[in-house]
Amino acid sequence: MSAIASEYLPVLLFFAVGIAFALIFVSAPIAVSALTGTAKPEAVKLSEYESGFPAFSDARAKFDVQFYLVAILFIVFDLEAAFLFPWAVSLHWGGESAWWAMMEFLGELAIGLVYAWKVGALEWE
Amino acid sequence: MTYTGWFVEQFGAGLGWFLANLTLILAIAFPVMVGVALAVYADRKIWAAMQMRRGPNVVGPFGILQTFADAAKLFLKETIIPAGASTGVFLLAPMISFTLALVVWAVMPFDAGLVLADLNVGLLYIFAVSSMGVYGIIMSGWASNSKYAFLGGLRSAAQMVSYEVSMGFILVAVMMYAQSLNLSDIVLAQKGNVLGILNGNIFNPLLFPMGIMFFITALAETNRPPFDLPEAEAELVAGYQVEYSSMSFALFFLGEYANILFMCALIPTLFLGGWLPPLDLPFLYAIPGFVWFLSKMAFLFFLFAWVKATVPRYRYDQLMRLGWKVFLPLSLFWVVVVSGWLMFTGHFAAAPGVM
Amino acid sequence: MAAFAFYLFAGLLLTSGLMVITAKNPVHSVLWLILAFFNAAGLFILLGAEFLAMLLVIVYVGAVAVLFLFVVMMLDIDFKALQRGALQNLPLGLAVSGVILAEVLLVASGWTAGQGVIVHEALAGPPPGMTNTQWIGSQLYTRYFFVFSMSGLILLAAMIGAIVLTHRRRVGIKKQSIAAQNARTPGGTVAVGKAAIGQGVEL
Repeated sequence: MSAIASEYLPVLLFFAVGIAFALIFVSAPIAVSALTGTAKPEAVKLSEYESGFPAFSDARAKFDVQFYLVAILFIVFDLEAAFLFPWAVSLHWGGESAWWAMMEFLGELAIGLVYAWKVGALEWE
Repeated sequence: MTYTGWFVEQFGAGLGWFLANLTLILAIAFPVMVGVALAVYADRKIWAAMQMRRGPNVVGPFGILQTFADAAKLFLKETIIPAGASTGVFLLAPMISFTLALVVWAVMPFDAGLVLADLNVGLLYIFAVSSMGVYGIIMSGWASNSKYAFLGGLRSAAQMVSYEVSMGFILVAVMMYAQSLNLSDIVLAQKGNVLGILNGNIFNPLLFPMGIMFFITALAETNRPPFDLPEAEAELVAGYQVEYSSMSFALFFLGEYANILFMCALIPTLFLGGWLPPLDLPFLYAIPGFVWFLSKMAFLFFLFAWVKATVPRYRYDQLMRLGWKVFLPLSLFWVVVVSGWLMFTGHFAAAPGVM
Repeated sequence: MAAFAFYLFAGLLLTSGLMVITAKNPVHSVLWLILAFFNAAGLFILLGAEFLAMLLVIVYVGAVAVLFLFVVMMLDIDFKALQRGALQNLPLGLAVSGVILAEVLLVASGWTAGQGVIVHEALAGPPPGMTNTQWIGSQLYTRYFFVFSMSGLILLAAMIGAIVLTHRRRVGIKKQSIAAQNARTPGGTVAVGKAAIGQGVEL
């Protein structure tokens, strides 16, 4: 196993411990109330909250396309940030040519941002 | 002898390593959980003081046991799983929120060398884990099959996603100064970085706006007021958490506050010099770095509580406008400014790590 | 240990990949897909490619899967109706996947690993004093500038395309103009006048 991978073993163990804690916290109250017979589910208790009325319709409905647009724009800018990370820590080797390369890249994305701004895609209505 | 070395000597390589790391992990996880309880108490006391009230003062001396009493009450409650909910996803969502809020601490350096996993890409690890925090919220919103929860989950997801963008750009500026993604390196790069005497990126005029923006972004990422839209009580009756009860609810709560505490620890690490004292004077190093770190965390937490006590909530369109139209262009532009300044003043001439 | 970790991640990856296509509920499919991404990241870490592993989580789990989840959660499809039609489309589906499989096999048989110098360099690991991330950075923006620049253009096209497809200007909504709000002065909006008794005020 490479030296880098062994650095991640504690992180993996931490994930295991965290999941174990979460499992205990979630299942213990359920198990205890089921075993001691204190769990008394009834129709009204189990119905979802909707200001005291029974729910009129299923909650999972179609919703505003704007949320999708935000998610897509997020992917684009997240990728842009992903390109910036190695660039930021390697400018010593890349030098000025790497800097100008990134300026060109950012310029392309800036055009996209200006376009989105102009057509009003960044506006929440 | 190192801590792990002692265990390896006592129990052999495999078991010793396992026990050493397990104890270290528990030594992070338990203080975080107790810290959450104390943070909730501190939060309530600070708002109370700012609103001329007393705050919790009945349970235990000065009411300090109030949160523990709340936790015990929640633990004894019955877990209600709504009939319309998808049980698996419904129970998985709080577990994800809680686990992610815990594991993100794995790379946090509490003092020089006091870190569980000193990853080369520590900052990216934090970015990755915090970008997954959205899932707990979307999944709970969807699984509850309740309109309030669904709307709250959607809003929250869009909000966190929007602010993560500018958070990434701010991180770029910080890592450019340190020339590293390792959190310990980032802290050490801040040693005497301004005028040779001040420790901390925040004192650097080029990074000062980034520091302020990061603080506000951290508020939005952790769903703190003035950005607590997802759980706006008045409109959404606590949003995605509305159907949760008992410990499943408590896990969301724990996760949320653990994230806030983490942000209170991350901001000092990135901008206030982490475990270093604020001034690069020899006698200040007599105080252990751990104490500096904790006091900076406490200061940041006070700022978080202060904001909550004094600033009114944003409206959703204002929130989106701030994220996409103010922070995004500003942080993008600032990355260009900072990198250009560093490029043409010869910051990158020296190989990283030599500074 | 390395072998154990490899089989753990690879096994979980294949299992969750299988679950993605067999799960009845599309939301569950996406959740399995996220688990698959995770295990792929674990495999990257085993290879020492820590930057790629983190990037996989940040971009795919943190961004792409969120979009998938958004799309899939809000579909109100009738799954029964969907399954009824599945059998009719089976021949077409088989034909398409057969063509793709043949193409993949064709490409895979004609390709040998390590033709370029790059692969051999990569196997050696980063030079001393450089981390994995810095090594990628030192190559990407100079040596592979063209590819990097192209990816910028692709992102631009993706962004504009998404906006053109989904953005609609809506009418009849109230918007806040912050600039106009801040530009208001008391002089332009408030007037102090005297109202005579029994006459009212002319506005």
